[in-house]
Amino acid sequence: MKKNIALLGQSFLRNYVLIAILALIVVTMLVEPNFMTFANLINIMRQFGPLVMVSLGMTFVIIGGFIDLSVAGTISLVAVVTVTLIDPIGQVPAILVGLGVGALCGYVNSLLVLSSGALTQAEALFITFGMSTVYSAIALMYSGGSTKHMRFLKGDTSVIEALGQGSVGIFSVSFLVFLVCLAVLWVFQTQTRMGRAICLTGGNKTAAHLCGVPVSRSIIAIYTISGFMAAIGAIILFSRITTASPVIGAGYETNAILAVVVGGTTLKGGKGSVLRTVMGVLLVILMSNCLNLLGVTPYMQVVTKGAILVLAIWLDNRTQI
Amino acid sequence: MKIQTSECILSIKDVSKTFPGVKALQKVSFDVRRGSVHGLVGENGAGKSTLMKILSGVYQKDAGAGTVIFDGETIENTTPHESMHRGLAIIYQELNLVNTMSVGENIFLGRFKEMKGMRGTHTSARELLDRIDCKIDTHKLVSELSVSEKQMVEIAKALSFKSKLIIMDEPSSSLTAEELVELVKIIHQLKEQGISIIYISHKLDEIFDFCDVVTIMRDGQIIDTKAKVDLTRDEMITKMVGRSIENEYPERPQNVGATLMEVRSLNTRKLHDVSFTLKQGEILGLVGLVGAGRTEIVRAIFGADKTDGHQILINGSAVRIKNPNDAKLAGFGFVPEDRKLQGLVLPFSVESNISMASFEKFTKFGFISKSKESEIGIRQAKALVVKTPSTKTPVKNLSGGNQQKCIIGRWLENDPRIFIMDEPTRGIDVGAKYEIYVLMKAIAEKGGAVILISSELPEVLNMSNRVLTLFEGRITGEFNPQTASADEIMRAALGMTEGSANP
Ligand SMILES: Nc1ncnc2c1ncn2[C@@H]1O[C@H](COP(=O)(O)OP(=O)(O)OP(=O)(O)O)[C@@H](O)[C@H]1O
Ligand SMILES: [Mg+2]
Repeated sequence: MKKNIALLGQSFLRNYVLIAILALIVVTMLVEPNFMTFANLINIMRQFGPLVMVSLGMTFVIIGGFIDLSVAGTISLVAVVTVTLIDPIGQVPAILVGLGVGALCGYVNSLLVLSSGALTQAEALFITFGMSTVYSAIALMYSGGSTKHMRFLKGDTSVIEALGQGSVGIFSVSFLVFLVCLAVLWVFQTQTRMGRAICLTGGNKTAAHLCGVPVSRSIIAIYTISGFMAAIGAIILFSRITTASPVIGAGYETNAILAVVVGGTTLKGGKGSVLRTVMGVLLVILMSNCLNLLGVTPYMQVVTKGAILVLAIWLDNRTQI
Repeated sequence: MKIQTSECILSIKDVSKTFPGVKALQKVSFDVRRGSVHGLVGENGAGKSTLMKILSGVYQKDAGAGTVIFDGETIENTTPHESMHRGLAIIYQELNLVNTMSVGENIFLGRFKEMKGMRGTHTSARELLDRIDCKIDTHKLVSELSVSEKQMVEIAKALSFKSKLIIMDEPSSSLTAEELVELVKIIHQLKEQGISIIYISHKLDEIFDFCDVVTIMRDGQIIDTKAKVDLTRDEMITKMVGRSIENEYPERPQNVGATLMEVRSLNTRKLHDVSFTLKQGEILGLVGLVGAGRTEIVRAIFGADKTDGHQILINGSAVRIKNPNDAKLAGFGFVPEDRKLQGLVLPFSVESNISMASFEKFTKFGFISKSKESEIGIRQAKALVVKTPSTKTPVKNLSGGNQQKCIIGRWLENDPRIFIMDEPTRGIDVGAKYEIYVLMKAIAEKGGAVILISSELPEVLNMSNRVLTLFEGRITGEFNPQTASADEIMRAALGMTEGSANP
């Protein structure tokens, strides 16, 4: 743990992107009095929940040497399925089905990646990009293209509301869910055999396979985890905004990848940590928030994020020879 | 030896280099004369590659320590790009070409404008390749080239910068005997053109073959620099390892027993009806040209490649091996041919690299025990004398030979019954080679067996109890290397005769 913190500190100093974003935050604090208001901080916390879940899952895919663009489609599909099932089967079963659908989407991705040979990140990129459109399309067909509002539901939605809006003591429920997920995933990554297998797969698939490390199972695991975490993100997202449109997940894949990379997990695979990703998510959200407050147009924000992603990848490539 | 500076293309004085926890170079001084081939030898981790990387600007020497004078010019804080343009080229063992581009494009990468477009690029590339009598088509993609052809492209690239000094870091370790002959020819041509060469190798025969001067390094220091003619092989080895080595090979294992493994009718696209047996307590050598199918055989047995059907019997009963994990459980160990691509997980620590084939030993209920993992790492690193500041060091910081020891240690931890070693001594120094031979022998004498593949014929002939020759995917002969002549064996490996003992 201590070593992890030291590592975090080291990568922090070397990571110019982090420094740039922190500078942006400081500037915003100085010129924009609204930044430090209670309302804004709540706003930031709200965005944190869904994105951090998706990003934690994405971290595993990236550590494993692959990438998952399908989370956008998965989130939309899970949200739509969960909402429409609340009335017929009740809220808790609906949530469980939603989580199952997310994991299933991930599992299907992994099978496709494996059957294509599972050789490079590029193949995974195209496959999961394709699957994102497939999942989105299913979400559209399933919902008939309409947006569902929670307040029009007849069934009990207390649990879902609690997830998005409730709190225990000073902590919101979604924050507690996040802490549990983080702890479980951190232990999984650093303390378990499967977690190690995933890291080794990302570090060198061929070598890992030749040592009897279960490479195929690792690939199935990373995508299933990613799908499952996207599903948790989807449910928190839906309960927070109380509506579920079939395009609700759009943009989450880029934000999640951005958060993972800015956090300092390398796209080359093998090395990285879920703890770093948490920092990456905070920074990405703070950055959006600052840009909003500074009055930067949404188009420019997209450009900025794209540029930062490219810059982060470029720096990552230069520092690791 | 005192030489005028003008006679020297390169003059290094008192250069030191410290990595965290390692003094890689201590006050190193040496000179390279214009137009000479300067051999550089030394144990694994002696600092040869580090010194070369300082010259090319990949690393910076310790501040304030020493000077480097190249072609009359004092060099400080250079970069690989700068030194390339200054006329100092380095050809790394892991070649640095862009696989998806053509030969011509690679030679003039980033300089298409100077070359006036693609036409000019290809004509100039042709001229350069002709200078070293190389026939490769400049339009061919680099991914289609063999290792030796890639090296030639690197050399042509070096020539394109009008290089005055070309450093070759273990260029021969992945070449066949025939390819080496080509390389030697090129080296002679370069020398005639007045280009100096620093040649690093662990194959001492090569050093004696064509180097003019030899520098010997040990533990980050220069032990001696001598003209080749004044140096004997024994003297060189003694200075390298710091003690004299009587024999380069231990005696081969003595107690060959009953059949341990039988392989029946192994067929793949490249292999045709390969059947053989492996006996308890023996080292079995596979001899053949590159592409004869040696590596294919062992990969198929180990479950790394699919086959069109084959049968393996261990101690008489059939075992099914569908993947490397099955093989591991059946008692196999496997040192692959390509250290970097197939063996190591470079960004990971020495101990994680050593422990990665023996998870059972340090996991319980799916959880890993870091302290048990460290024990494994430390145990094997000690047993194989791996030179590293700690077992937590990333394996990519180790010298080539020490990386290889990590891979061997990884499998020794499992006590393999059948140890497959594909080029186990590639890039390993004389002293460490001997240690590896002793390990092979120990496995055989404990009742196991070793399958040895090596492109160094003397190694196979001196260590094996039995040798199988392969030609174009077929076994062409079986020999006892103690009685058969090397000539006989080579003829079978070239497909010219059928083997005497057992066709
Ligand atoms: N980037 C690095 N960080 C830390 N230590 C390093 C690094 N590169 C090399 N070393 C250490 O410096 C020493 C010299 O290594 P070097 O690669 O120069 O050896 P070498 O003579 O080329 O050996 P070999 O014959 O095995 O290739 C070794 O102990 C190695 O572990
Ligand atoms: Mg070296």
